[in-house]
Amino acid sequence: MITNLVNILMGGVFHAAILFLVAAGLQVVFGVQKIFNLACGSFYALGAYTGVSAVGYFTGHGGPPALFIVPLALGGLAVGLIGVVVERGLLRFVYDRDETFQLLLTFALVLMLEDLIRMTWGTAPVSTGGLYLNYGQARILGATVPVYNLIVIAASLAIALGIGWLLSRTVFGRIIRASADNREMAEALGVDMRWVYVRVFTLGTMLGTLGGALVIPATAAMSEMGIELIVEAFAVVVIGGLGSMRGAFVGALVVGILRSVAISVYPELEMLLIYLIVIAVLLWRPRGLFGAAAA
Amino acid sequence: MATTRREFLKVAGGAAAATAAGFPAVARAQAKPGVPSDPVKIGILAIRAGIAAPVGTAGLRGTEWWAERVNKSGGILGRQVQLIVEEESNPKDTVERYRKLILQDKVEVVIGGISTGVTLALGAVAEEMETPWLSWDGTTQKGVEETMPNPKWAFKSVDNEVEAIVAGQLTRKYFKGVQTIAGINNDYSYGHDCWETYQAVLKKLGMNVKPVLELFPKLGVTDFTSHIAAIQQAKPDLLMSSFWSGDATIILKQAAAVGLFKNMKGVFTTAGGVHDSLKKEFTPEGLLLGYNTMYFDDPKGSPLLKQFVREYKAKYNEYPAYESDHAYFNIESYKVAVEKAYAQTKQWPTKAQVVKALEGIEAQSLSGTRSWRTDHIQMCSFYQGLTTHKNNYDFVTINPIEVVSTKTAMKPAGSKLLDWINGWKI
Repeated sequence: MITNLVNILMGGVFHAAILFLVAAGLQVVFGVQKIFNLACGSFYALGAYTGVSAVGYFTGHGGPPALFIVPLALGGLAVGLIGVVVERGLLRFVYDRDETFQLLLTFALVLMLEDLIRMTWGTAPVSTGGLYLNYGQARILGATVPVYNLIVIAASLAIALGIGWLLSRTVFGRIIRASADNREMAEALGVDMRWVYVRVFTLGTMLGTLGGALVIPATAAMSEMGIELIVEAFAVVVIGGLGSMRGAFVGALVVGILRSVAISVYPELEMLLIYLIVIAVLLWRPRGLFGAAAA
Repeated sequence: MATTRREFLKVAGGAAAATAAGFPAVARAQAKPGVPSDPVKIGILAIRAGIAAPVGTAGLRGTEWWAERVNKSGGILGRQVQLIVEEESNPKDTVERYRKLILQDKVEVVIGGISTGVTLALGAVAEEMETPWLSWDGTTQKGVEETMPNPKWAFKSVDNEVEAIVAGQLTRKYFKGVQTIAGINNDYSYGHDCWETYQAVLKKLGMNVKPVLELFPKLGVTDFTSHIAAIQQAKPDLLMSSFWSGDATIILKQAAAVGLFKNMKGVFTTAGGVHDSLKKEFTPEGLLLGYNTMYFDDPKGSPLLKQFVREYKAKYNEYPAYESDHAYFNIESYKVAVEKAYAQTKQWPTKAQVVKALEGIEAQSLSGTRSWRTDHIQMCSFYQGLTTHKNNYDFVTINPIEVVSTKTAMKPAGSKLLDWINGWKI
C-alpha cells in the first residue's frame, strides 16, 4: 500500500517538476511582458533535442557517462540564449499591438521551431539511450525510484527556490516586480525596459529549454513533444493564476499528482480530471489560486 | 492554422521530393510498342510531420529505392517512372491533395496512406475519382468493421488488428502460465482494437486470463512514470502494448528504471516499428516483439531484402522498418499489374485494366511474395519473436523468428472479426 503510494506520488512529482519549469517560463514572461508565450513548449522541445546532442557529443568524445548531466544542463541553458534573438528579432515589435498579434506571432514560432527541429534532427525520435539508468535506483519505503528522477525533482525545486530568491531578494528581482506592477512608472524612474525585457524573456526561455534538457534522459525527444506539454502547462497556469510563480509551483504539483492518482485509480479520468479542476478553479476563483485580482 | 503550415510543407517538400525522387534526364530504355514514351507519373502520399513522420519517411525511402532501381533497368515497359510526392496530413487536406494528384498532375495511380483516419476518407474518394489507389498501411476499417467490403479502385493494407491476433497466438505458445494481464495502448482506434482483439484471441485459445488494468494514454505522451506506477500496483503477469512510435522506446526505458519486467512478461505487438531505438541497455530479453510485416535481420531473407537493408543503412545510418516494404510491394505490384495487362493487349493499360490485373496478383516484396486478395486486401506475413541480446547491434533483435501469414491470421473476406475468431477450431 505505502509502496504503491510512493510510486504514484513520485510519478506525479516527477511530472510536476518538468511541468513547473515550463509553466514558470510562461509565467515570468507573462508577468512582466504581458505576452502569453505559446512557444514555451517549443523551447522545451528545443532544449530536449539540444540536450541529446550535447550528451552525444560529450560521451562521443570520451566524457565519463556518469557526468552526462553536466553537458546536458549546459546544453539546455545555452540554447536558451535563443530567447535573446526571439525577443530582439520578433517580440519587441508587437508589445504595443493587440494580444491577437502576440498570440499569432508566438504560434508562428511554435510552427517554425517544430520545422527547425525536424530539419536539424530528423523526424525519428532521438534519445540518450540507456544513460538514464547509470544513476541507479533508490529504495524509498519499499518503492524503487530511479535516482535520476530524484535529481530532476531536486533540480526543479532548487530552481524554484532560486527564482523565489531572485524575485524577492535581488535588485533585478525588484525591478522585475516593479515593471510587472507598473511599467510606465518603472520607466519613469529610469528603468531601461528593453534591458528588462531581453533578460526576462531569456530567463523564461532558459527555464523551458533547461526543463526539456533535464527530462530527456528519462524519455525520448519527438518534434511535437512541446505541443503535448503546453496544454498541461496552460492548465497549470489557470489553476495557479496567470503570472504567479507560486501559482506555477502549486499548479504543477496539483496537475502532476492528480494525473498520477487518476491513472492508478481510474485511468479514464487521466486528462478529464485536470480539466475538471481547471473548470472548478475558473468558476470558484477565476484569477487562479495565486493570481492577482483582475484589473 | 495547421493548414498554412501543411500547405507550406507541401509546396516545399513536394517540390524537393519530386525533383529528388528519380526523374533522370535521359531515359535509358526504349518504350515498348504501344507504350507512350513520356514518363509514367505515380502519385505518392507520405506523412512527413507528427508522430507518424518516421513511418512515412520509411515508406517514402522504400518507394524511392524502388524507383531508382526500376528506372535504371528501363522503367515500366520502357517508360521511366516519375514520382510526385504529396503530404498526408489530416483527412480533408489529404483528400484535396489526392484530387490534385489526379486532376492536375494526371498521375496513373496514387500510392500511400498510413493513418486510418485519412484512408477511411481516401477510400471513398478513390472510387469517385476512378483511379487506382494502393494504401501503404491504412485500411477502410472503422474499428474492426470493414466499411468498403467491395471497392473497385481502392486497394487496402492488411487489417489493423492482425498483429494483435498473431501476438495472441504467440502469447499462448510462449507465456502459457499467465493469469492476469494489463494493457497499455494509445487512445485511438488502433490502440483500442488491438487490445480488444488480443483479449478475444487469448480467450478463444483457452487462456483463462483476467484483465487487471487498461491504460489508454493519448498518442504523443512522453512520460509514463505514473502509468508504470499503476501497472506496478495492478501487478499483472503480463503487459500488452501496441505502442509503435517513440512511446514504445520511452515506456521500455522508464520500465527498466524501476525493473518492471523483472517479474512480468511483456508483449509489444508493434514496437518493431522503432526497433533500432530499443537499446539493449533498457530492453530486456524474452519480450514478445512484433516487427509488423518485414524483419530486417531475417537470416532467411531474400538477397533483395539484404541489399535493401545494406544500402538503407549506408545511406541513412538506420535499419529499415516494415513500412518500407509495404510501400515497396505496393509500387512493385503496380508494375507487375501493368506488365500483366500489357501482355494481353500490347497496349499501355487503362486504369480499369490495371485494377483488373491487380486483383489476385502476386509480386515480390522485400520480405518475399505478397499478393492482393480479390477483395483488394494485402496478403503478406507478420514477423514476431522473443527479444534477444545475442547480436552485433546495440539494440535487441528476435530469436526465434515466428512468421505468420495473413492467410491464417487475418479475417477472410466478408467475415466479422470477433465471429471469425470465435469460430476458430482449436
